[in-house]
Amino acid sequence: MSEGPDLSARETLAAEHALGLLGAGDRAEAEARMARDSAFATLVDDWRARLTPMLDAMAPVEPRAAVWAGVERALGANDNAAARRRLRFWRGATLGSLGLAAASLAFAVLVVSRSLEPAPPPAAPPMLNASLMTPGEGSHPMFVAAYDPVRQALIITSLARPGADPGHGHQLWVIPADGQPHSLGMIAPGASKSMPMPKAMAPMFTPGAAIVASLEPPGGSPTGRPSGPMAAVGKLGRI
Amino acid sequence: MPRIAQGDRAALRQLYDATAPKLFAVCLRILSNREESEDVLQDVYVTIWRRADRFDPARASVATWISTIARNRAIDRLRARGPLARSVSVENLEIADDQPGADATLAATDDAARLEACLSELDPRTRDVIRTAFFEGVTYEALAGRMEIPLGTVKSWIRRGLARLKRCLER
Repeated sequence: MSEGPDLSARETLAAEHALGLLGAGDRAEAEARMARDSAFATLVDDWRARLTPMLDAMAPVEPRAAVWAGVERALGANDNAAARRRLRFWRGATLGSLGLAAASLAFAVLVVSRSLEPAPPPAAPPMLNASLMTPGEGSHPMFVAAYDPVRQALIITSLARPGADPGHGHQLWVIPADGQPHSLGMIAPGASKSMPMPKAMAPMFTPGAAIVASLEPPGGSPTGRPSGPMAAVGKLGRI
Repeated sequence: MPRIAQGDRAALRQLYDATAPKLFAVCLRILSNREESEDVLQDVYVTIWRRADRFDPARASVATWISTIARNRAIDRLRARGPLARSVSVENLEIADDQPGADATLAATDDAARLEACLSELDPRTRDVIRTAFFEGVTYEALAGRMEIPLGTVKSWIRRGLARLKRCLER
């Protein structure tokens, strides 16, 4: 192939932006330029269209059902962003409000399930889901969780804002029918985890079992049981 | 897409069912980590939901638009890991069980085939840098550092490569 002319400086920048070569500052500048210079935006769009087919050669991979569940819940939360910002997530509550939280959760589940399309053909056995709410803090979850009985793993996402309280951490617990909390470990604000469960714990994840986050010292509860206030609670159920 | 912009969740679900496996593969390719990829994938569809009103069919196809969101989000996450982060090559990536395999790969589009043909006309080093940049969002500086070659050299390889690529695609 013969050497032709180089791209213009402007198109070079557009191509570099589309390719992902720009550092954070230059990238923000390029985005701003796209917003005010439609000819430049077109160049970037054209380069994206040229390069994106590189992604077509990839074999699709089915994500787990928990991802869609997470999308749905995030939509709900975003529908009222102002209320979500008001959520003072470190404010704890006593275990006494568990009943109240469970009641509001049951309502939330009812609302969500009514708004869904007919469910896709179920893979047996079904996933269990829970939204963990802060008792008394309205209907926005602080965590969303799904238990996958096939993989015997709990997938959980913290919606808490990172960095708000470096002096404390969230420790997760499962409370099965017998009412005894079993630690699931710590989760950082904003983090997502998939936690495979040991054989002994898998049977605890049944509809109605509670998933609780307690507020603890950064290293976790020193006592082996929740020592701090309850930050959020939700019950596992089929949606 | 207009239905999604109007807040139709069923429309988003349809788009999700049709495209999530593809975008998940994109996230996995960039991040090589299933949990992070699921996290990013979730974020991608929430972003699509919130920005659907800005989608302009005159500017991009739906496929390009959502793929670009997925790639940018995954690259943001990759960059957030820190300056030493790099993704593992796809050959080393462990993808669990039951995944659709070769058939889907063979079904790649005409556009992909043309792009592939044009990339293969570039010299191998240039092709590799372009691929690395595309899949990892690596800056010129990082590429130069990683490959231990002068910054100016990387820039001229890529810029010349992009110009050739464009001419080839327009042939």
